[in-house]
Formats: sequence, structure tokens, C-alpha cells
Amino acid sequence: MLHDRNWKPTLVERLAALPQTPERGFRFFTTQGGEVFFPYADLQKEAYRRAAYLSAQGLKQGDRLALVIGEGHEFVLSFLAAVVAGIVPVPIFPRPAFKPLESYRETLDHIVRASGSTRMLTTEAVRQHAELDRLLQQSGSPLQSLLCVESCFEGEVAPWTPPAVRPDDLCFLQFTSGSTSLPKGVMVTHANLVANACAFLGPSGLDRRDDDLGVSWLPLFHDMGLIGFILGTLVCDIPVIILPTESFARTPRRWLEILSTYRGTITYAPNFAYQLVAKRVRERDLASLDLSALRVAGCGAEPIRAQTLRDFCERFATAGFDPKALLPSYGLAESTLAVTFHPSGESLTSERVDAPSLRRGLAENATSSESNESVELVSCGRPFPEHELAIVAENGKVLGERRVGEITVRGPSVCAGYFELPEASAEVWQQGWLHTGDLGYLSEGNLYVCGRIKDLIVIRGVNYHPQDLEWTVGDIEGVRRGNAVAFGTMVDGVEELVIVAEGAASEAEKLCALITQRVTEVHGLRPARVALVPLGTLPKTSSGKVQRRKTRQLFEEGELPLHATTHEGQDHGTKRPA
Amino acid sequence: MERSDLLELFRSTAEEIAEKDFSHVHEEMPIAELGIDSLGMLELVGAMERELQIRVPDEDLAGIQNIRQLLDLIQSKQSAS
Repeated sequence: MLHDRNWKPTLVERLAALPQTPERGFRFFTTQGGEVFFPYADLQKEAYRRAAYLSAQGLKQGDRLALVIGEGHEFVLSFLAAVVAGIVPVPIFPRPAFKPLESYRETLDHIVRASGSTRMLTTEAVRQHAELDRLLQQSGSPLQSLLCVESCFEGEVAPWTPPAVRPDDLCFLQFTSGSTSLPKGVMVTHANLVANACAFLGPSGLDRRDDDLGVSWLPLFHDMGLIGFILGTLVCDIPVIILPTESFARTPRRWLEILSTYRGTITYAPNFAYQLVAKRVRERDLASLDLSALRVAGCGAEPIRAQTLRDFCERFATAGFDPKALLPSYGLAESTLAVTFHPSGESLTSERVDAPSLRRGLAENATSSESNESVELVSCGRPFPEHELAIVAENGKVLGERRVGEITVRGPSVCAGYFELPEASAEVWQQGWLHTGDLGYLSEGNLYVCGRIKDLIVIRGVNYHPQDLEWTVGDIEGVRRGNAVAFGTMVDGVEELVIVAEGAASEAEKLCALITQRVTEVHGLRPARVALVPLGTLPKTSSGKVQRRKTRQLFEEGELPLHATTHEGQDHGTKRPA
Repeated sequence: MERSDLLELFRSTAEEIAEKDFSHVHEEMPIAELGIDSLGMLELVGAMERELQIRVPDEDLAGIQNIRQLLDLIQSKQSAS
């Protein structure tokens, strides 16, 4: 019943249907170092209590509420309060550590406008440190007031009646991550959420069990953490332990210690995190770690590298880690979260394909695994029941086995579009099919992801739009505006950021260093390579726009004349330039 | 702890995390120039917190742009504890 998407098809109904036993619920480690446990009954009660206050603030069904809250339980309780009141929460990145506050506020301002949020709910600490009150002075902003969790839910409140919430109502807006100027709000309905949760937690997904316990440090403003470990787990009744992302970042091995101590059965992370903990765990920690209860170690959100996963298995074999727990997957926010899952409990499947033929659109098995011109790809598994996946050529023709094309998806998890962006939506949602912009091929029913059509750069699970990076570079004195190109290039299965800009030879080295510094400052991502090329080198369209893909191709083939170049070296998470 | 010792602790911790030479770091150096991303910087802060027995709340790290600002912050937590 839990796995039937038509049974109680809203989060509100699912919340009400959760068992009331005191031992089932969510445990949150706090940013202050404490912990707090909410049985499901308490989550519900507190969500409804808070909903009355939100309602008293003048928020009505369908209104958007920006949520900028770093403390896990405060975020979840406020999110659920909005949902039961029919208010549409808009989760936003709450922690601008080491980032310029001005560019952080610009992002907030953009999301507030794009979502039409009239209220923002935050914490006193973030409000103060990031000077959020300045957002209220932005002309034309829909934002009317800032609310803080510390004071918003206190005092007398008028009686309140929960509204009827229907499956096709918006549950929340998931803003696509990473960009400074282009985040778009994916409209996730209750029906989408319940359908996706039932799919990835059901028998064709990780096959939920009654004794499962999820453990996650993933950010809660992002789909993998929010749907994977908060909303999906509520829909399908899986208790979880939530660790603040910063706790993991400060002490990566805490992730494993909590899995070990609480005998967690399900966890999930991007590729880099598996690499990081394998590197950081100490010999003396290994002896005390017991990962034998872990039956699902999911991997997604960025390209998956087989070697990383093998290294992880080897490192944690003595801790009882079962290699069959590894579960590579593919998904995107536009399809709620998950699209394909590797079959739970089966060994990792990977294959080595010939790189030149892959670039030409055919996935041929590499004749020699020693070849530099081959690439190992990991199977991300199969689509879920009631969902379809097709690989299509540019002309829309469906491609056959091992032919590389755009991954397209159809089914009940596929969202309705971007909020109030009909044109951008029409590019991505075509005749009922979601065009993911990702390149892949099918082999024996399994999906292999091998690149992107969109120029989007994805590094460590974060999306970067090349345009934003190029603007930053174009603002640097000495770089000709409109003559910088940013793209991602795959090096040994890991995507790296490359910037190519035109400039004078006399300033080449200085400019390379400046570009590295500015891009890192503004975007929190350090370019792996910066190349300065002579004026007039970059390929342009007839209308004078730089051609990213052509530039990338020239760069990869070593055919760009260089004034200067920097090379940070390979980052597999051992060393960590963004 | 003397300021110079604090910078030295920062330097050695950064070297451990990023696995590269940071003998050239100085207080006015922008954090962006270190080549360590914000997750890596948090790991660095975590290591210094353990070493110095202090706690630096996440919010306080908002807007920190260079090493001097970070060391000022850490020093203020030391004198507070």
C-alpha cells in the first residue's frame, strides 16, 4: 500500500497516515552539537501548530514562502507547516560561509522574485550575519517581511482550519542549484512527490523495509537531501537521522560513525563524498566502524566514477561494508528526484567504452582497457514502473541500443514545468517528455550517462551555468567582455572546470591568476585550468557569440594557441580545489 | 596562542587538507587564492576547532574572505572561551 502512488496521493495525507509509535520518527543532530528526536506524531503536531502562525501572518493557500533555515529540525518543521497550510515553501541555500555576502543576497533576491515569495522565514543568526533585512529595500521585490523561527511561532494565535490539499496542487518549488543568476523553480506537485517516492523507495527502487533507517548529511534545500531523506521517507515511513552538512564537512568521518553507531541501513551521497571519506578515515577509526547494517549506499547527483566506488569498498571492507550496497542512480529535479536506480542488492555494473567512438555517438566496447582513449562508465540502472525513458537524436528520432543521444523521460514523477517561465519550460518539456539535456545510452536496459547537451557544468553535485562564470571573467580588467568561455571537461571520469579567455600576451600570467581568484571568490569553484589565448582566437558564431562546444573541442584536442595556462592538476577529492 | 602560531596552525592544517605547499600564505591572502572550496574550508575550520577547543558557528563564517578575517574570528572565540 505504501508503494502505491494512488494511495493517499498528497504529502499531507501521507503525513497523517504515519504510525504513531513513539520510536519511529526523525532524529536531528543540531548545528550546536546536540540532538533532538521527533516521533512522527510530534512532527505532525508541531507542523500544524506552526501552520496556524503562518496563516496568521496573512499567508494563504498557494502563496510562496522563502525558507532560509540552516537548522535541520527548524527547516523541516517549517517546511511541513507550510505544506499542511497549502503554502508553497521555497527552500534556499542558508549558509553563505566564505562567500561574499553581496552575491549571496543577489541570489536570494533573484529567487524571491522568481518565486514571488511575499515572506521569508529564516533564523536570527542568518538574518543578522547575512544582513537579510537589506532584501526588503530592493525595489520591486515582492518580499514584504522577514520572519524568524525564534519568534514567529509564539504567542496567541487565531483558530485555523487546514485547507483541502489536492494531488495536483504545488507542494513546493525546487530551485535548481548553483547559478548566480539563472535558478529556475521546478514545480513539484504532491502527486509528483508521492509518485517519485513510491518509485525509488518501492520494490523497483531500494525496496523499503520496516527496519530501515536512513542517515543523511545532504543539504535540505537540495532535491537529494530534501526528497531523498525528508519528504520521500515521510511518504513511505522510513525513520531517518539528519546530520548538518557542516558537521560532515568539518569532520567527514562522522557520517560513517553515525551509520555505524545507529546501524543505519540507507545512505546517499555524491561521488566526491565517497572519495573523501575513504581518504580521511584513519586506521584507528576503521577498527571501531561497523558498516555491516548498511544495505543501500546510493550514489548520484554528479558523474559516478567506478574507481572511486571500488576504492571505497576496499577501504571499508574490514568495517563490514557490503559492495552490493552501492547503488548508482540517475535523476534530476525536473523529474522530482530519481529517474533510474541500479537494482538494489546487485553488484556494480560498469563498462569501458572507446572514447573517440563515444564522441561520435556510439558506445563501443574499448578493445584495450589500458588505452588512454577509453572511459569507464557506471550503469545507473533502469527506469521505474509507470515511467518511460528514451534516448533521442537531435531530430527527435528514438535511438537504439548503445547509441548516444539525449535522455528523455515521461511518467508521473515528471514535474509540470518551471514556475512562471513558460518559454524556458517549453524548451525542456516537449509533448509530454522531459528533455533532460543529459547524454546517455542504453545497454541491456541499463542507462549509462556520458555527458550533457546543455552547456551546464556539474562539479561535486553543484550545477554551474557557463554564462555566469563567463560574466565574472568578462568583468575582469584586461579580459575582453564576451571573449571568455567556461566549460566542463571530463578528466578520468571526473568533470573539471576550464576557463578560456582572450587577452594580451604581456598580461597573460597575471590574468590567469586573476581569473582563478575571481571565479573562486564569486562562485566558490576553482577552475582546474585557465588558458589565456590571443585576441581573435575563440570561435564565434556569425552573430559574434562565442561557441562553447567548439572551443571545448579545440581545447581538448590541443588546438588552441596559448599565451599562458594554469593547471591545478587532477582533483579526485584528495586535494580539493572546489 | 600568539598570532604567528595561529597562522602556522592554519598553514599546517591547510597543507594537510589540500595536500599542497602553503609556505607562502600570509594574512592578507584571499581565501579564494588557496584553492580550497567552501566544504574544504569547513573541514579546515573543524580541524582548528578541535585543536584549539573552540567552536565557530557556521553563521559567523558568512562573508569571510581572507585569512586575516578568519584568524580574527578564531581569536575572538579563543578569548571568549
